[in-house]
Amino acid sequence: MKIGVYFCNCGSNISGKVDSEQVRQALSLNDVEYFKTCELMCSDDGKSYLRDEIAAEKPDRIVIAACSPREHEKTFMRVLSGAGMNPYLMQMANIREQVAWVTSDVRQASLKAAALIKGAVKRVAFHKPLEMKSIEMSPDVMVIGAGPAGLKAALTIAQTGRKVTLVEKRAVIGGQPVLYEDVFPNLECAPCMLEPMLDEILHGEYAKNIEILTLSEVVELYGFYGNFIAKIKKSPRYADMNQCIGCGECIGVCPVDVKNEFNNGLDNRKAISLSFAGALPNVPFIDMAACLRARGGDCRLCDEACPLGEGIILYDDAEEMVERRMGAVIVAVGASLYDAGLIPKLGLGRLPDVYTSFEFERLLSSTGPTGGQLLTRSGRTPGSIAIIHCVGSLDANHKEYCSGICCQYAFKFNLMVGHKLPDTQIHHLHKELVYPGKEEYFLYKRAKENPNAVFTAYKDIDTLRITAAEDGIMIVNSSIKADMVVLCPAVVPSKDSGKLNETLGTTVDMFGFFEELHGRLDPVMAKVRGIYIAGACQSPMSIQQAMTQGMATAGYALSGIVGGKRLEIEPITASVDADRCSGCGVCALVCPYKAIGFDEQNRKSSVNEVLCEGCGSCVAACPAGAINGNHFTNDAILAEIEGVLSCLNQG
Amino acid sequence: MASKPKLSMYWASSCGGCEVSLVNINEKILDVAANFDFYFCPCLLDTKKEDVEALDDGGIAITFFNGAIRTEENEEMAHLLRKKSKLLIAFGSCAYEGCIPALSNLHTKAAHFKSIYIDNPTVDNLLGIVPKHETQVPEGKLTLPAFYERVRTLSQVTDVDYSMPGCPPEPARVWNVIEAVIQGKTLPPKGGILGAGNSSVCRECGRKKEDKHITRLYRTYEIIPDTEACLLDQGLICMGIATADGCGALCPKVNMPCSGCYGPPAGVFDQGAKMVAALGAILDIGEKKGISEDELIRRIDMLVDSIPDYSGTFYKYSLAGSILGGGRA
Repeated sequence: MKIGVYFCNCGSNISGKVDSEQVRQALSLNDVEYFKTCELMCSDDGKSYLRDEIAAEKPDRIVIAACSPREHEKTFMRVLSGAGMNPYLMQMANIREQVAWVTSDVRQASLKAAALIKGAVKRVAFHKPLEMKSIEMSPDVMVIGAGPAGLKAALTIAQTGRKVTLVEKRAVIGGQPVLYEDVFPNLECAPCMLEPMLDEILHGEYAKNIEILTLSEVVELYGFYGNFIAKIKKSPRYADMNQCIGCGECIGVCPVDVKNEFNNGLDNRKAISLSFAGALPNVPFIDMAACLRARGGDCRLCDEACPLGEGIILYDDAEEMVERRMGAVIVAVGASLYDAGLIPKLGLGRLPDVYTSFEFERLLSSTGPTGGQLLTRSGRTPGSIAIIHCVGSLDANHKEYCSGICCQYAFKFNLMVGHKLPDTQIHHLHKELVYPGKEEYFLYKRAKENPNAVFTAYKDIDTLRITAAEDGIMIVNSSIKADMVVLCPAVVPSKDSGKLNETLGTTVDMFGFFEELHGRLDPVMAKVRGIYIAGACQSPMSIQQAMTQGMATAGYALSGIVGGKRLEIEPITASVDADRCSGCGVCALVCPYKAIGFDEQNRKSSVNEVLCEGCGSCVAACPAGAINGNHFTNDAILAEIEGVLSCLNQG
Repeated sequence: MASKPKLSMYWASSCGGCEVSLVNINEKILDVAANFDFYFCPCLLDTKKEDVEALDDGGIAITFFNGAIRTEENEEMAHLLRKKSKLLIAFGSCAYEGCIPALSNLHTKAAHFKSIYIDNPTVDNLLGIVPKHETQVPEGKLTLPAFYERVRTLSQVTDVDYSMPGCPPEPARVWNVIEAVIQGKTLPPKGGILGAGNSSVCRECGRKKEDKHITRLYRTYEIIPDTEACLLDQGLICMGIATADGCGALCPKVNMPCSGCYGPPAGVFDQGAKMVAALGAILDIGEKKGISEDELIRRIDMLVDSIPDYSGTFYKYSLAGSILGGGRA
């Protein structure tokens, strides 16, 4: 086998410390056919020198002793390809970062360089010519969850002409913020802020690229990056999404009243409903569990009231399973609030005027149960409101993290109450106060400046006690009188995210939030390639952060899978020798990319080349030695070690 | 008679179980006798070393050599039988990889002699006499075969054609090999393994493998394991995942974890290291995020410390041939 070594001087970077002549002498001629030095291998001159050399020498394998492969391995691989040589038949020896830059003595440095080169020479003999593979992929994307993060992602992707399937569990889109009157930090009207974006998604220039599936859930996902297939269960809406104009005539005539979940049961809605004023899409839905027709009646009042005539209200509408193919999936299913009922001393559910922050948002909202009037259950104007921060947060008995957004919306409550009821006292009871960022402190400052506001720190939620006094007044910690108490619970994963996690085959962290591939480098990538996570389903976050993450996921989806292109598959992957695999399943435990599947019938593992990143974890873990790591075979690694050691022994 | 090829079986440092295993091929032993001249086997026959020396080189068709190389005599016989045999087969775990005798490599020869001949509570040895290679007595010089510092495998002292794993090799596998030779079947390339599969014991084990997240390890006396579920999944260190198949998963079938006597699976060099690497994947110390380094170390130590004997667990059979080789004390 003809193995040639090219020693790059890297100006004086390498040659200043490593004596190439000493290295040449340390390498035996049995191993190496030739040894040549070059001034600057990565320069244009250097690259054309290498190209000419390959043509003239026709080596079987090449070792390039130069910088870190992280810097120029790809550069030299491209030169090899250009010269008609398989790029995997080259090995780099890093004699700059690992030798010249960190060794002061020339003799020592030369010896080390020779050892590394000898290792590379021994290793490269085992290199096999590997080929890139490619497969077709779908450029379409599925977005699960139509809150700020999901909407941003969907719209961004649709704007490039790509098709998006937007799957939303609820009947309306917009997520949580459309239910809020104002949002922090600038007290902007949330529905007004979001409306243009929602409208663009529903009726804008790119709406044709977005298929919105409301009342829908992903029940199955199979395939892999570039080629996912999702099964989506579509519950019936009982109204024609395309023809209904949302006039609402049908709603007034409905004889059934049920608790309105959009207002946390604080008021009632009809069995046919629009959720809340301004809800989009502006098409009512029938809650069939409540409808008289589900109880054997033949009520047709809503249908008869429709000014567009028959065929808009669809009593025969039925559950449907639809299948969609896509290259990437974006998960943006949001979060919910910790159950403050688990801290009974706070009185939630026991004392009528103890509210969760979400209920309070609805009481403040002009589309809420009181039309935005702040009243106690008994209809009184509250003279004093206690806002309790950190409910279940920063607490080892509940949730140990800081949810980050609660302080901000609590300050927002302070200002909104101040606007509505200038004489009402506001008590902030907090464990910690946080306001990081360039805008957040100012909201705190304004809240603090409210002359009716009192801030009191508490140490432990267990020391707080809310008791009923006379006339519906409550006493907080035997000193503070309050007509209303607002609890700001920890932000927790939404109820269904565990189930969805199982469906998608992704992972969740210790708190149940969708887990990112890397907290800092890839915070919106799930551990499964091609699945991205955005918004509060990944971690508690503000609308701003959710929008940013939505955008980030769109970036991944757009850059990773491009219409008309094939998905290239790196050949440095692991492969299972089915003959040797005994099906013990250890490999699947260590794979960080969920690339290992199991064939139940034959009881054998297999590696999906698209998902495999070639990390080698399974190769090392396979106790039967049945998994081979391409380009990093045991033979090659052992030969490299032997090469290095043999040279050091000589020294 | 003279035309029948000669068969021999020798025991070096071993327990005799390998001979029992050969005899356990039962009535097939008659086929062996019909096809071979069973020439030399100190455990079963009266032929002596001199009879072997009298043969031409290569005069024995096959030698099943069991036992590790502990003494000078073991080594001498290994060289002699190598010279006289066409096929020298390391038969059983001791000859193949050192087995139990090689666990003594964790200590020095001097330490062994001290515990056996001096500190041993059942021995009265006030003069502190220990075996010596040469002893001068009035009548002259007495010699004993030298006791080596370390136990070696057969292939570490001489050229071996094939190895047959097992402690002992299963009779059915022994017969397979003999039968293949009788029928003149093509044997694998020299240096290979005979009488084992190319996968691991799990392939032959019918237990259900499910969740391999072990939060606690058990020793066999601590639990009565479920008879259907994978023993490893139940927290018993079953070496089956890192052990060559071929035995028929005998131990797991009777609710005992595999202890690894068939050695590393094909493609694995160091059985113990492989098992440790695999356990690294299987042992579950719980949630790692947000946990202090001290707590992580504590949890890992707790799991690792519950393994009573690292060498005896992971290198029960393979210490002599392993990367570690043994102790240095």
